[in-house]
Parts: sequence; C-alpha cells; structure tokens
Amino acid sequence: MSLPRDIRTVRAGWRWGGVRPASWPDPVPGIPEPASNLDWARQEPIRGLRWLVQRGLSIPFTQAMTGLLVDGEGWLREQDRPALLVSNHVSHADTPILLAALPDRARERTVVAAATDYWYDRPWLGRLVSLWLNTFPFSRTGGAQAVLHSSSQLLKSGWNLLIYAEGSRSPDGRLQPFLPGVGHLAAETRSPVVPMHVRGTHRVMPKGRRFFLPAPVEVRIGKPMSPHPGEGSRVFTQRVEDAVRELGQGTDEPRVVGSWIERWHASAPRSRASR
Amino acid sequence: MGRPGAVIEVDRNTPPTLFHYGEGVRLEKLPLGSRVIYAPDPIPPIAHPERAIRRALAHPLEDDPLKALLRPGMRLTIAFDDLSLPLPPMAQPDVRQLVLEEVIELAAAAGVEDVHLIAANSLHRRMTEDEIRHIVGDRIFSTFHPDRLYNHDAEDPEGNVLIGTTSQGEEVTLSRRAAESDLLVYVNLTFVPMDGGHKSLATGLGSYRSVRAHHTVNTLLHSRSYMNPPDSALHHSCIRQGQLIEDTVRCFHIETSVNNHSFPAIANFMQKRETDWTPADQAAFLAVKQLTDLAPADVKRAVFHSMRAPYGLTSVQAGQVEVVHDRILETVRRQMLVEVEGQTDIVTLGIPYLGPYNVNAILNPVLVVCMGLGYLFNLYRGRPVVREGGVVILAHPCRNEFDSVQHPSYIDFYDEVLSDTLNPAEIEERYETCFAEDPWYRQLYRKSHAYHGVHPFYAWYWAAHAMQHVGDVIVVGGERETVHHLGFKCATTLEDALEMAEQTVGRYPSVTHLRLPPLFVADVR
Repeated sequence: MSLPRDIRTVRAGWRWGGVRPASWPDPVPGIPEPASNLDWARQEPIRGLRWLVQRGLSIPFTQAMTGLLVDGEGWLREQDRPALLVSNHVSHADTPILLAALPDRARERTVVAAATDYWYDRPWLGRLVSLWLNTFPFSRTGGAQAVLHSSSQLLKSGWNLLIYAEGSRSPDGRLQPFLPGVGHLAAETRSPVVPMHVRGTHRVMPKGRRFFLPAPVEVRIGKPMSPHPGEGSRVFTQRVEDAVRELGQGTDEPRVVGSWIERWHASAPRSRASR
Repeated sequence: MGRPGAVIEVDRNTPPTLFHYGEGVRLEKLPLGSRVIYAPDPIPPIAHPERAIRRALAHPLEDDPLKALLRPGMRLTIAFDDLSLPLPPMAQPDVRQLVLEEVIELAAAAGVEDVHLIAANSLHRRMTEDEIRHIVGDRIFSTFHPDRLYNHDAEDPEGNVLIGTTSQGEEVTLSRRAAESDLLVYVNLTFVPMDGGHKSLATGLGSYRSVRAHHTVNTLLHSRSYMNPPDSALHHSCIRQGQLIEDTVRCFHIETSVNNHSFPAIANFMQKRETDWTPADQAAFLAVKQLTDLAPADVKRAVFHSMRAPYGLTSVQAGQVEVVHDRILETVRRQMLVEVEGQTDIVTLGIPYLGPYNVNAILNPVLVVCMGLGYLFNLYRGRPVVREGGVVILAHPCRNEFDSVQHPSYIDFYDEVLSDTLNPAEIEERYETCFAEDPWYRQLYRKSHAYHGVHPFYAWYWAAHAMQHVGDVIVVGGERETVHHLGFKCATTLEDALEMAEQTVGRYPSVTHLRLPPLFVADVR
C-alpha cells in the first residue's frame, strides 16, 4: 500500500503546515478559465453518476407520481443532431418531468438552461442541480453574447439544449411571450428547434410549493423546426411560440392557475419575491 | 498573458517532480542542481473562434476568398487531419469541426452539390464512426457519413493515382477523388511544429509509395530535428511533394493552432508546475496515484483515454500553403519554445499514456521507443538537450502488451524483427518491403482498424536519430525482459538509473528533466 508513503512525500514536498519557501515563484493563474465552469458535470464519472440517479430514482419517482404520458417522442428518436428543445414553463417540476419524457439517448445528451440568478446564487444548489439535471448557468439579466457563445459551444459539442423560452415560470399557467434569444440561438447555431409542451405540472408542484404532489402529467413533443431562409429571429421565435401553443391546445389546461393573490405574489419583482 | 517557459534548478526547497509513467504518475526527487524544463503557460485562446474562422476564409493569405473559389457544378473535396492530433483529443467542439462547418456553409451557399470529406489518415488506422463524429461534429456527420465522409484508403488500387515524381525522384500519389477535384480544401491542426504545411497533404492523402520517399532512416538521421522544419530533411521532401500536388490540383489550405491546455480541470496538476500546486492539486495527485496503483489495467486505460483536453484556438489562417504554415508556426513556436542554456549529460523524462499512434489503445513497447526517443527526444531546436554520448532515462512500465486490433504488424515486428536486429538501417533494408506489402496487413488496414503493415518500421525509424546520438537508454520501472528486448537497460528506481548512467557519462553528471506534457520545444543554445 503506497498511500502512507505518497502522503509523506507530498506533505514533505509541499510543506504542509509550514511556510511556502521564498525561492518558489508566486503562483499565477496560468491556465485560462474555461467558458463554462460546469464542464465537470458533463464529463465522466459525473455522467455515469447522473445516469444512476436519474434511472434509479428520479424517473421511477416521476412516473409513479405523475403517470407520465408522452406524445411525439418519435420526433426526438429520429433527431440525429443536437437540437434546441423549447418548452413552456409552469413549475420547478417541469425539468425532471421533461427529462423523463425524453428518449434515453436524447436525455443523456441534454443540458438544461437554468437561470443563473436563481439556481447559481448558492454554489451548493448550482452544483446539486447540475449533477442531478445537467443544468448550466444561463444568464437572464445580461451578457447575451457570453450566453450565446456558451450555448452555441454546447450545441456544437453534441448536446441538446432544453430552454424555457418564456424566461421564467408562468405566473398564471398561460403561455408568456417568448424571449427572442431562442430564434437568435437557432439562427446562430443552425440547430433545429423541437417545440415541447408540458401540461399538468402546476398541480404537481405549484409555484411556491417545495414538494411533489401526485397528479397526471402529459408531455407533447412537436415536429422539429428550422428558420426559413431570410426569416428573422423574432419572426422565427414567434413561430416556435405558436407551435408550443398549438401543442398545448385541445387540452384541459386551465387558462389561469391559482387565485389572483397567488398570481399577484408570483408576478412581483424578483427582489421582493425572494424576501 | 501566461508565463513563458522556464528552466528551474533543483535546490533543497524544490518539491518533488511529477513523472508520467504510462497510465500512471510518480513523484521523484531529482538530484540537487538538476534542471527541470517547463512549458510556457497556455496562450489565451481566441474569444470567438467562429468569427476568426470566417475572417480567415474571407481574407486569406495570398489567395482568393474561399467564397470566390466555389461555384455550382464543381467537385469539392475537403480533407482534414485524423485523430493522431491533438493529444489528448480535444474536447468538443474540435477546431476542425468549427472550420469544416464554416467551409461547408459557404459551399452550401454557393450551391456546390458534389462535396466529399476525407479524413487524411495516410497509413494510420481507419477511424471509427464515433471518432470521426467526435472530430467533425454531429451535424456534419449526419449530413455526409458514410458515402461522402470517409477515411482515406491508401491501399485502394483504384482510389489513388500517381501524379508525378519530384526533382529528387520522390514519387507522389494522391487520393483519386482529391486529385480529380476542382478544389481541394485541407483543414489542418498544427499541434507541434512538425505538423501542417505541405506535410499534411503529401502524407495525409498519399499512399505507401509517396510516404516511403521520406519516412526513411537516412532522411530521419538528417532531420535534426523534425520538430524544426527548416532543419528537417523529412520536411524538405514533403515540401517538394506538396509543390507537385499544388501544380496538379487547386488547393486551399486552412491551418489552425491550439494552445497547450492539455488536461481537463480534474487533472490540473499535470498541467501545472509543481510549485503552483494547490492543496486541491496535491489531493488530486494522491487520488490519481492511488487509482493508478490499484485499478486494473483496463479501468486505468478507460479512464485515461476518456480524458478530453480543453485546448483553445490560438490562430487560424487560410490561403496559400507555405505562407499560411509560416504564420501558424509563429504561433506554435510562441506557445512551445523554451530557451535552454547548453546541453546536459543525462535527460530524464516520463512517458505519458498517449502518443499519436495509440489513441484508445495501449502504448506498446515499440511505441514507447517511438515516443521517448522519437517524438519527445526530437522536441528541440538547434541541438538536442542531451549531449552526444549522453544518457536518456525514460520512465514507463514498458510491458509486453499490444492492441491486436490496432497494432497487428507491431506484434510481429517486435517478435520477429527486433529479435533479429535493432539497427534501423538494417531493419529497413531487410524487412520493410515484406511487411509493407503483406496482403494480410493490407487487408486489416483497409477493412479493420489496423495501422498499415509498415507502420512499426516508421515508429522505429522515428527514434533512429536518438539511437545514434545517445550513449545509453535506461528505462525506469520497465518490464526487464521487454526492455532488454528493445536493447535498453532497465532500472527499478530513478536513483538506480542515475547511478547506472554515471558508468556511461562519468561522475557528477548534469541532469535535465523534460517535464512534459504539456509539450514544449527546447531551443538549446
């Protein structure tokens, strides 16, 4: 067993508990910072660990609680290159449920855009969701070029990107206007956009609740879309929004979720809501 | 801006020095007064690679913009470097993918229907589908594979053509598809100074007939070193061949370089100088050391070979081959050159788990020689770091293990040829043709994922200059029988090896350790 000997070598060599020798040059950050500091979450052995957590715990739990129905997953099975998965957003339960709805191969290659200002304020929380759901920090408040660059790098690296184009959870269950970043990202990376709609999660985990409740959930996946030649990013974003809205039509989705008081609180500015 | 390379003298306070040891690592205490050479820190990468690539294609050097060369109805062939570089393989997206996507985008916009992409693997093994996908990305792979995206087959009698002979009598063959194209675009990644330029095309899409012109013992003995193209007979030959190719086919050359950020965050300690190691780096070293001491060989190999390097693009140039290559070499030298004062009696170096010819395979004993006395020994400009008659001490387990899929001819080379003679010139004369023309090796090269039958010879010739130059080679920690079969001496510890070396170079020798990877080129004054 060489561990004790190795520890002794390292302890003596680097003066554990002692003073750094004056002859050593000052350490400098000689290694450039990577574009995203969460690369580790997309490498082994973390990927294997996430596979175990998702297949062993998360997906069976989700299916047991929601009786998850999925329509249109064939579109993703046929998808042979990375895509932007764009969905509506009602609840924190959306992400694990949408991931559970994806075919295995697509799920293992999907990263989720998570709001930097919400999920990554607390480092432990950011690391936990990155480990569990393969999220990456997505700034809603600025640095559009940096976000575009890191998203584009992920798509080019073969990862699907799950994005909630409304920018935040819908305060009342209705589809909010999509932010134009989706169209811009699709145009810049030339990736197809797969519209998705999740229904019923407002009952599983309403805004403000911390725990899952049993309720039926349905996920619908639409046909992949690409911008037409000459189509502007805003126009394309509108088309994606219409496609998501269409997927949600014909369901018994309530037009409004919760009372006006809940909606009132939910729509408060973030600084007040977080108090 | 990172620090330049450095030569540190070992004193009482110097921490132990990291030695790569195949699929493992070691810490060694070097004698007081020894020198340790470190690579420069990684050059900051270009912030927006796609923009830089678009700019290079729109404003090429001494050539028309690529857009102007593309027209409907033309035959366009795009060739790109294979997985032998960079090492370790680059984390996705690979720079070749970024360049290829921009080139294909222009071709699509111009309405070029007839587009083929060829991996310029020369006599290297065919890449697997996953390996090609890793280099070109999903989008290109799903669009072009398999009928219009494939490996070059240097042994296809119909697929290669002889396009001429140079003034020095070197035959030049080229992939038929490339030779009959209206435009040949080459996408190159220059990882070390020996890569790129005319060598890429002349060897990458050539066959044994053209490669044998310069992969000879004589040429390699007159390449001092082949890591410095102006002093390399190998490169002079490639330039003559490349110029002939340029006279035959319209070429547009795109060359890229990356920094030396060779290890992912989890293995940062391998990238850093030991005096920069934080407690986290020390803990990572201890964890990796225990893993590699205890884990089965297959597990270690799987872990090491799954590492992807976060290289950053440092330069991209397009246009006419020579001017593009010169410009790229400036950046590569800026990243790699370290000034070293004078030669040394003994050079020590740890051989890492990976070389250009064993991606996803074991580094077999012949490749250990190729790495230690070939690639790493030749990482110099001017004079070798070790003096003539000096000693090279390599650290590697050097086991008699081979990958039978990738290296079938290496097994026979080791068993039959090296049992007979170790002399590169004699090996070349007596055995090369027999292996090169063996129908079974040819079949495995074409249909399986095996290196060409002649490849182990080239790996051995690669070390010919070092074998002629040094007085002795000692392998620390190597398997005794295997090391002796290679003609070297074996030592259990570094201290033993240094003591043995004194018998060759005399008492109180000067010792220099090459702390690589990250790779550097020693500019020895």
